[in-house]
Amino acid sequence: MLLFGLDLDYVAIVALFGIGLYMLVAKSNLLKKLLGLNVMETSVFAFLVTAGMVEGGDPPILVAGTGAPFASPIPHAMVLTGIVVAVSVTAVALALIVQIHAHYGTIEVDELKELP
Amino acid sequence: MTELATELLPWVVAVPLVGAALTPAVAAGRPRLSGGWAFAVMLLTTAIAGVLLVELAQGGTFRYEVGGWAAPYGIELRFDHFASWVFPLAALFVVILPFSWRYLDHVMPDERRPAFYALLLLNAGGMIGFSITGDLFNLFVFMEVVSLSSYALVAVGGRGLAAYAALKYLFIGAVSSLLTLFAVAQLFVMTGSLNMADVALRLAEVGGTPPVMVAFAALGVSMMVKAAAFPLHVWLPDAHAIAPSPVSAVLSGMVVKVGILGMLRVYQVFFAADVLDLGAFNQALVWLGAASIVMGAFFAIFQDDIKLMLAYSTISNIGYIVMGLGLATPYAVIGASVHVFNHALIKATLFLAAGAIIHQTGLRTLSDLRGIGRSMPQTSAAMAIGAVAIVGLPPTAGFVCKWYIALGAFEADQAAFGFALVFGALFIFVYYIRMVNAFFFQKPVHEAVAAAREVPWSMRAPIALLATLCLLMGILGGIPLNFVEGAVLAKLAAGVP
Repeated sequence: MLLFGLDLDYVAIVALFGIGLYMLVAKSNLLKKLLGLNVMETSVFAFLVTAGMVEGGDPPILVAGTGAPFASPIPHAMVLTGIVVAVSVTAVALALIVQIHAHYGTIEVDELKELP
Repeated sequence: MTELATELLPWVVAVPLVGAALTPAVAAGRPRLSGGWAFAVMLLTTAIAGVLLVELAQGGTFRYEVGGWAAPYGIELRFDHFASWVFPLAALFVVILPFSWRYLDHVMPDERRPAFYALLLLNAGGMIGFSITGDLFNLFVFMEVVSLSSYALVAVGGRGLAAYAALKYLFIGAVSSLLTLFAVAQLFVMTGSLNMADVALRLAEVGGTPPVMVAFAALGVSMMVKAAAFPLHVWLPDAHAIAPSPVSAVLSGMVVKVGILGMLRVYQVFFAADVLDLGAFNQALVWLGAASIVMGAFFAIFQDDIKLMLAYSTISNIGYIVMGLGLATPYAVIGASVHVFNHALIKATLFLAAGAIIHQTGLRTLSDLRGIGRSMPQTSAAMAIGAVAIVGLPPTAGFVCKWYIALGAFEADQAAFGFALVFGALFIFVYYIRMVNAFFFQKPVHEAVAAAREVPWSMRAPIALLATLCLLMGILGGIPLNFVEGAVLAKLAAGVP
């Protein structure tokens, strides 16, 4: 499907990436920044998943009734790895945010800046 | 020998990673044992890397297919001259680890030590894996192993400020990693391959289309963020200054080099493919390098906190390396390649000496530390040697590389940048004079400084060893230069720096 002469999925992916980047840069709340980072990650994963798509392709699992062409399984394996990495990053970030909150009592960047 | 070295190649990554995973189990109930365990693991890793290095010197680049799956479908590990950096890297860990044993007493309770050492080993394993992998996606995964462990290591000292610095580092680092993942995905879509050599071959058929350019740009920006080149450096000073000193030595000396090495790998792919005109990009790198040299040194002058000053000098030194790569002449690239290692050595000396001083006095600003040269003469002398080396005065480790890079600037008919380089060194020299003056020629203002004693031998020995190496590498600087020279010249002739 086309939008402005571009594939719709690519338009959606770029839009998602932009939304995530905006949240990461513009929001003052550390949790919202982290959510923005997650949205960005999702957009790149979506890009990878669409890369494995083959027109009319079957899932790359050999059972009775399936045959070539198959969808490429490599991007799926990559996205799985990517998700694991993203979850780890999120976990570390959340742990840090908890520490910041415990120490300063706030997770707003503009309030953190005013602290000594 | 070849057989053995090839079979050992995966172990140089596996040993530190498995060692990291086992650390909590080994240290269960005996947390202080974890330091010795990490030391033993890195000693074994260094030994393996040494065997690999000998093989490389005798027989040239060699490869290993992980799981027996042949490239380009399987993951390929390769050990070439750029990857040979894993030997000094592992060796530096062996020197830094004993320093951390006593240092950590003031930083964290005993029961957190196993986690700390597990993170350090993970960091080492990630950097080694990053250096030897021949697969683009694998490169991303190891990059994240290094980055994640670095974020955690910055925060490991506890308190809120450390957590906030680590979180800022994480946000910028994660976006840069994401750019790498995006570029790798883009290259995969364009070529259908992830093996670096194979991608280069297939890119030649694809040509320099806009998506390929986007991928190249994304990789370039991502690696420069990791390397902390000037406008992308904002995350570095706080993170490196606030981390415990042994961690600062690792982060400032080695982790930023992940960006440099990544840049070299990206260059290898795109030069071999020969689809983009990299001349403009090289010129951008030279400017970026010059800006980093001058700005890093400029900011360093105004810092009172010694660790913050050292962190800014890292930005300056990364500038030298980036500029050397951008100049793309034999001298400049050889100098830059060797400075990757020499800077790690010098920075480790400086951060460990600074750590020792902070450990003994609890003070960290130049104005408070006046007169420390009288109460801690050996550590202060090591710090002074490190500072001479970082300025790049002969006969120290810093001189040979900077000399080569400056020669490269003249060789490339860009003499102005050669002067920028000297100018940056002058800035750093100002800082050095300030420090030596404060340490040796002023009277102590704090009782803690006057009463400070030298650190215990387990901390003093690593500092002494590193400071000696700083001097030795100046006198024996020809050895690493000759070692990379052949590889660099061969690659420049083939169009690959």
